[in-house]
Amino acid sequence: MTNALQIKNLKKSFGNLEVIKDLSLTAKKGEVICIIGTSGSGKSTLLRCVNLLETPDSGEVYVNGELIKMKKDKNGKLIPVEQNQVDRIRSKLSMVFQDFNLWSHMTVLQNVIEAPIHVQNIDKNIARKNGYQLLEKVGIAEKADQYPSNLSGGQQQRAAIARALAMNPDVMLFDEPTSSLDPELVGEVLKVMQTLAEEGRTMIIVTHEMGFAKGVSSKVIFLDQGRIEEEETPDKFFNNPQSLRLKRFLAANL
Amino acid sequence: MNYELMIETFPKLLVGLNITIQLVSISLFVGFCFAIGLALLRLSNNLFLNFFAKTYVFYFRGTPLLVQIFLIYYGIAQFEFIRESFVWSFFKEPYWCAILALTLNTCAYSSEIIRGGIQSVSFGQIESAKSTGMSGFLLYRRIILPIAFRQALPAYGNEMILMVKATSLVSTITIMDITGIARLIIAKTFSPVEIFIVAGLIYLTINFIVTRLVNFCEIKLTPYLRRAN
Repeated sequence: MTNALQIKNLKKSFGNLEVIKDLSLTAKKGEVICIIGTSGSGKSTLLRCVNLLETPDSGEVYVNGELIKMKKDKNGKLIPVEQNQVDRIRSKLSMVFQDFNLWSHMTVLQNVIEAPIHVQNIDKNIARKNGYQLLEKVGIAEKADQYPSNLSGGQQQRAAIARALAMNPDVMLFDEPTSSLDPELVGEVLKVMQTLAEEGRTMIIVTHEMGFAKGVSSKVIFLDQGRIEEEETPDKFFNNPQSLRLKRFLAANL
Repeated sequence: MNYELMIETFPKLLVGLNITIQLVSISLFVGFCFAIGLALLRLSNNLFLNFFAKTYVFYFRGTPLLVQIFLIYYGIAQFEFIRESFVWSFFKEPYWCAILALTLNTCAYSSEIIRGGIQSVSFGQIESAKSTGMSGFLLYRRIILPIAFRQALPAYGNEMILMVKATSLVSTITIMDITGIARLIIAKTFSPVEIFIVAGLIYLTINFIVTRLVNFCEIKLTPYLRRAN
């Protein structure tokens, strides 16, 4: 079976700061991988390098076995060989952002059907029907014709998840999806994500929600200073951490 | 105050309304289309294109519209090769010179308004569009420009009103717009106050309608900036 996502020897620096240091990671189809770590450990950067919102300095990313082709430009920086391939792969790698990033000029339903219609060229009526079902699934069907600014944070994030699902992605990337939410709204978003995990979606989730990571993941990764410090099943990860840094982190965060 | 003269003048001035509206709508429409391009040049990383856009905006914002109108109307006729070429049939008409000057002028201002709108689109919304596989023209057409235009609408409404008033300057190159006719009648009647009050009221009415139109567009296009009912 091909891996849904494979990252090989990824490196990324911002100026002199090495954020990701030679990192490799594999996600099999249906796996839910939670990435935890202190802030500044490179979690978000790693996720953003996967769909090229940040261009890595070196390394390879395979999605469903397909390598995202990169070349060096005249300054020695990596750039994608063809934007078409990047666009196609991105449309199969839906991302959910910390700040939702819904398009403010469109209603919730329009947000959900925008990319299926204009990127994947799906028929409007089918997209609308499908989008409405997804909104029902995340529990905000009654908000379909509202604008994002009229929704609570939790509802906006659920709309963003519906938007990501509408692409029928191979891998879903979650970049701290609950970090901007009021504590009482976190639960509704995690519940939706849990349903997705149970349905066998391949998900890479950067999160601070330890309970959630423990409950849903097939693998938990502790990222520290741009390196994978520990990669384990949730049971071993939380009950029998090996590295001193992870022990300290868990002691401070559980 | 000679009210009878004012009432008499009103229909005469309305004859010029047609020209005024033509000048405003053609120059706004063409100017806006080019302004989008100019704004994109101004935002491009290409130093040459950027410099071109900057220089254009600098000159057309930095000099009076009246001077621009004179330069185009009187200036272009100085060149013999233009007078001998086919474009002369175009530039010998004050009407087209006026449209050219108004268009070039509003293009400079509008491009800065559009640039501001584009730059106000949050990175997050652009990134989420990219992450669904949008790029290039599609990204601009579906996400960046629609948000930018909505942001720019109040400022652009301002520009439309300024343009309505700016057309009055074309009367200086013999065009019989509202102001042109008003000046002609004043030359005959020696009653500048009455005539200019009527002319002013007509401009005020046009701008009242423009204001309502812009307002209507704002309500239609940016319902998310108001409370849900």
